[in-house]
Amino acid sequence: MQTLLNVSNLCKNYKRSARFSSTGFRKTLGPLNFTLERGKTLALVGESGAGKSTLVQIIAGLIKPSSGEIYVKDKPLSTFSQQERCTSIRMIFQDPSSSLNPKATIGRILAAPLELNTPLTMEQRRRQILNTLNLVGLLPDYLDFYPNMLSSIQQHQVAIARALILKPDIIIADEILASLDISLRFKIVNLLLNIQEKIGVSYIFVAHNMNLVRHMSDQIVVMEDGMIVENNSTEKIYNFPQSAVTKQLLQSHQPHYRKER
Amino acid sequence: MLINNEFNEDKIQSPLQYTWAIFKNKSAAIVSMWGVITLIFFALFAELIVTHEPSTQYAQNLLLPPYWLEGGSTDHILGTDDLGRDTLARLIQGLQLTLGGGILITFMISLIGSLIGATAVLTKGLKASILHHLLDALLTIPTLLTALILIVLFGPSYENCLLAVSLSLLPQFIRGIYIAIENELSKQYIIALQLDGATNTRLLRFGIFPNIIEPMVTLLNRIFTMAILEIATLGFLGFGTQLPDVELGSLIASSIDLIYLSPWLVFFPGIAIFLIIIIFNVFSEGLRHSVIEGEE
Repeated sequence: MQTLLNVSNLCKNYKRSARFSSTGFRKTLGPLNFTLERGKTLALVGESGAGKSTLVQIIAGLIKPSSGEIYVKDKPLSTFSQQERCTSIRMIFQDPSSSLNPKATIGRILAAPLELNTPLTMEQRRRQILNTLNLVGLLPDYLDFYPNMLSSIQQHQVAIARALILKPDIIIADEILASLDISLRFKIVNLLLNIQEKIGVSYIFVAHNMNLVRHMSDQIVVMEDGMIVENNSTEKIYNFPQSAVTKQLLQSHQPHYRKER
Repeated sequence: MLINNEFNEDKIQSPLQYTWAIFKNKSAAIVSMWGVITLIFFALFAELIVTHEPSTQYAQNLLLPPYWLEGGSTDHILGTDDLGRDTLARLIQGLQLTLGGGILITFMISLIGSLIGATAVLTKGLKASILHHLLDALLTIPTLLTALILIVLFGPSYENCLLAVSLSLLPQFIRGIYIAIENELSKQYIIALQLDGATNTRLLRFGIFPNIIEPMVTLLNRIFTMAILEIATLGFLGFGTQLPDVELGSLIASSIDLIYLSPWLVFFPGIAIFLIIIIFNVFSEGLRHSVIEGEE
């Protein structure tokens, strides 16, 4: 079976001029190697500053890598046009209240990616938008609403709909669950998993909560200081953690009464 | 019709309608809005309201006080000057030239400045850097000084005065709009739009400009106020409007010698400048507050 996403030797160097700062601070990412299969979920965990967000931003195309290549279905991502990139990888931003334009209706927000990246007619676009709204569980009523009229969970649903609307192969979610309380968090997670079951999309999650990660993901990549320290299936990581970072991460999410032992 | 009417609203208000609804509830803002409309109405239809020509000299009525004072006449409501010209007619002509000039300058600057500012933000590298530092250098010179230097180069006339004032205020506006757009560019919904592959024009039209209305209003108000003051100052110094046309600043200058004989001639144009500025400021402040409240 064809590998959906293959990240090979990906590096990112931040150049800081040493002239003004005494330390000549220099931070690097990589080289990173990992793969992701169709319909699977990959979780990126690690302490803050480990380079998780930088990695997903490189995959999403917000930052250019210094060296290395990302292959999507065995095609290098750097040869993709803007349209191809959009229809294969989409990103859900951290906080939907700031990632949805407050001066545009939901209908316009959802129509923009279609107008820019597909040759669909007005009628086809409308049908596609209604289908996607149905998929994330929103009524067509909301098309005429502005983002600030929706509750935070509805805003999340709209953000997910925007990512789904081009029918991408991979959806990147950068800590989307952090701003929600626990019950809504589970609602969104279950929504995402249901969608995965229906249309077979792959997810890359950046997450903190290890219990949720266990529930959601098939594969976990643990990062520390810009390097991958562990990359394995979820069950193996949970049952046989190899590195100190992984153990510490798992420990920190244990209930308090178990930590003592 | 909505399927479930959980919000108890008949229709969904666009941000613009919502802002208007808030604006309507601010009495000071509404009063100043009518003030603005009245001022513009006076400036546009001056010929219909004032019966006297601003340059006609009534030799038998020199230095009349306003009609409510002893010796005044209802023929000349605000009195006449030392050559017997009607003060009200001259005041209205001054209003036409000063207010009209201010509005014209603000309009032109907002068009040209937005264009240059937006291009400057969206281009990167050497071109943007040159523009950036050039603007910084221009901002160190006081605008009035720039305007004076330019008017000396162009030669004194009303058109040149408008040109000089607009050129002297343009760097300020470009700078302001540059900062506003740059702030907006780092917002997540703009990044999301860019990831969708939006072109720069689309980004500006739907993403950036609807969200910078508030800084825009402040900026335009400041430009307008400074434009009015600079036109009046240049007029006062004699570099602006040339006779027989008058403008509020030159009106004060021409009657400053008569301040003991007839203080009204200085008083009325001064009050007019004051009124224009305060009415427009209250109006824009009301507008700004409704925009801010609408965004919350």
